[in-house]
Amino acid sequence: MPSRGRAAQRGHWAWWAAPFGLALAWLLWSWSGELRAAVTPERSASRPGAAAAGASPVGATAPPASSSRDAGASAPFSDAGWQARAERQAMWQQRLVRARQALDAYAVSTRYPPGSRPVSEHPDHVHPDQPIQESIGLRGADGKPLPGLKLVTMQERVFLQGNERVRFTVAVRSDDDGALQPLRIQRASASELPRPGQPMNLAPVALDFTDDGAGADAVAADRVYSSVLQPATQGFATLAGGIRVQVWLEVRSQPGTTFFDIYYTPKPPATWVASASGIRESVDGGSLDFFLKLNVDEAGRYVVNGRIDDAQGKPFALVTFNDELPAGEQEVRLSVFGKLLRDGKPAFPLTLHDVDGFLLRPDVFPDRSLLARRSGMVTTSRIYPLSAFADAEWTSEERTRYLTELGKDVSIAQNALSGAAPPKGP
Amino acid sequence: MRSGIRSLLKSFAVIAALAAAGGTLTSFATNYSLWVNGRTGGGQLGNYADFSYWGPSGTSAGVNKKSVNWDGKSHIADQNYLVRNALDCYCTGSNWCYIAVHSAGDLMIGYTLDMYGGSSRYKKTPSPDASGSCSNSDGTTQTGWNIKWVDVAAGAGGGSELANVGAWATSYALDQDLKTATARALYNHNDTRGKIFYMYAGAKGTLYSGILPGQDDEAVAYHSSGGVSGSGGGSYCNPSDWFCNDLTLGTAATEGGTAKWSNHTVAFRDDAEAYNHYTNGNWQGVVSLVRSDMAANAQ
Repeated sequence: MPSRGRAAQRGHWAWWAAPFGLALAWLLWSWSGELRAAVTPERSASRPGAAAAGASPVGATAPPASSSRDAGASAPFSDAGWQARAERQAMWQQRLVRARQALDAYAVSTRYPPGSRPVSEHPDHVHPDQPIQESIGLRGADGKPLPGLKLVTMQERVFLQGNERVRFTVAVRSDDDGALQPLRIQRASASELPRPGQPMNLAPVALDFTDDGAGADAVAADRVYSSVLQPATQGFATLAGGIRVQVWLEVRSQPGTTFFDIYYTPKPPATWVASASGIRESVDGGSLDFFLKLNVDEAGRYVVNGRIDDAQGKPFALVTFNDELPAGEQEVRLSVFGKLLRDGKPAFPLTLHDVDGFLLRPDVFPDRSLLARRSGMVTTSRIYPLSAFADAEWTSEERTRYLTELGKDVSIAQNALSGAAPPKGP
Repeated sequence: MRSGIRSLLKSFAVIAALAAAGGTLTSFATNYSLWVNGRTGGGQLGNYADFSYWGPSGTSAGVNKKSVNWDGKSHIADQNYLVRNALDCYCTGSNWCYIAVHSAGDLMIGYTLDMYGGSSRYKKTPSPDASGSCSNSDGTTQTGWNIKWVDVAAGAGGGSELANVGAWATSYALDQDLKTATARALYNHNDTRGKIFYMYAGAKGTLYSGILPGQDDEAVAYHSSGGVSGSGGGSYCNPSDWFCNDLTLGTAATEGGTAKWSNHTVAFRDDAEAYNHYTNGNWQGVVSLVRSDMAANAQ
């Protein structure tokens, strides 16, 4: 039983404690408010009931409506309260799925650095010279569709530089039987592609699309018409920008039209040092690095891609350089990350081939000036045992930052979920 | 009594420390929801509160939502600084972002991450000036931006055949970028720097069915809105169409075996053909789905 003196002491204690108690209560109230704000998103104007009409994998659908949440909050053991907690749990369950997806995808994606990737992640960058083939409903000169006919086109590339040429083909296929149709090329031209409303500075150039098996055309009389454009020798030597190749044709006595766009760099901003001294390799930090010398005339951000094949010619990796380079002789490092080598176990020697790149020009059009393309084999590595390479995942401040934050999101969702579990149903 | 006061002071110190920590949390570590518009634009450039492209600004669309307005008419490269400005403002330092994009906004964010995602960025204080630029916070830098994931409504990252045939009544410089061959060659779509792109693909399109292959939302076809790789656009459909390869859900390759771009996952496929491309200034079409997702998960 407490004495009278101790009771008096407690009275003093209560007097001192009152403001701190209030402060603590305020803090707790504030934090619970933040938690409430986190739990309760801004009120939706319209809930996606219609989302159920489509197909969505787990974690992609919107959570249940929260309409009963507030009503239930005031009576947690009522039906409405139970419903509100169930909805809250569903919401946090969904957020947990999303948080885990973000964390897992990031963790897996960044085992290797961004500049050294398995080629399987870049299926459309394995063969940079692969022609672009497209098929689209044919339209007449008035823009209206010509029913039953598909225009089949091919262009070798979109971006080109220096003395490069680009080949185009045009054919028309019947929807009924898939057969190529006889067609007649009325005319074709290449012209500068100015911004809308801006005048052209260069005169258009006529192009020949032929089906004679000569020059640009591969097979005579196959109903595939071909042409080739070399900007440097056909009137565009001074143009840094877009060129549109327009083709007017006639099929089944109906006129039709199509066009191709390409973007041309007349003069490269830097030149490769092509001699033997222009390439070296080293194993540094557990990775295999290729260094390509570049005489940089124009400083800036350069983006360079190279492809790595194994000894059997099987595509293995896409390696990328994306960084600022000052003027003068520089080296572009294309690195094959150690763990990528350890995991992929490619047969050595490796081949670096098909290197392309450009100077990225921020906030202007055209946004790039191309380097000379290094088609085919560029260099072959020495033979190394896999043990020469590091087996550790990529580490960086960026990766740590992401894994920490995304991991925190998972923890928050897990904690909220454990607190939001509805009581057992009847 | 003395020990009581001592423990009280200790409690006060703890409370003060916690309060400081709480203050730090609320003042400096903030999540934002950034909305990047598509073709035609409409919002005032640099005004992150102007949601006129999307719909009423009072609509719930993710925590601390900001409208990253670009003109929707110029080349992607010309306007890219506006997106980088916004990412610098809100997605550096201790601040993190969820991104939502529509149509050509897909091309814009994909280009940004591939070209500049590994560049050195000054950490900023998220208090933009009238142009949408923010001042440096402490003079330090970081690599890339802090982005948790990207929601893509009716993405035009793979271009649109409407640009291939010049179908739009009004011609913009952007339309040159939206040509399918050009859009797909413009940057490496597989390089999201580890972020997931959740693709929401609509199929309520009829007007341009002769031009847009497979299912479409009246502006982009599934090959683009579903994040399907390749140098040119293919024809992909809902499972109910037996004569056309399916656009699969998730990250799996399409029926027919064409891979999706890396880290691109189809979050919604419009099997009921209920969603078209257009916001109608009221968060409608496929954007309505992304808005709901942002409201629920971008917090």
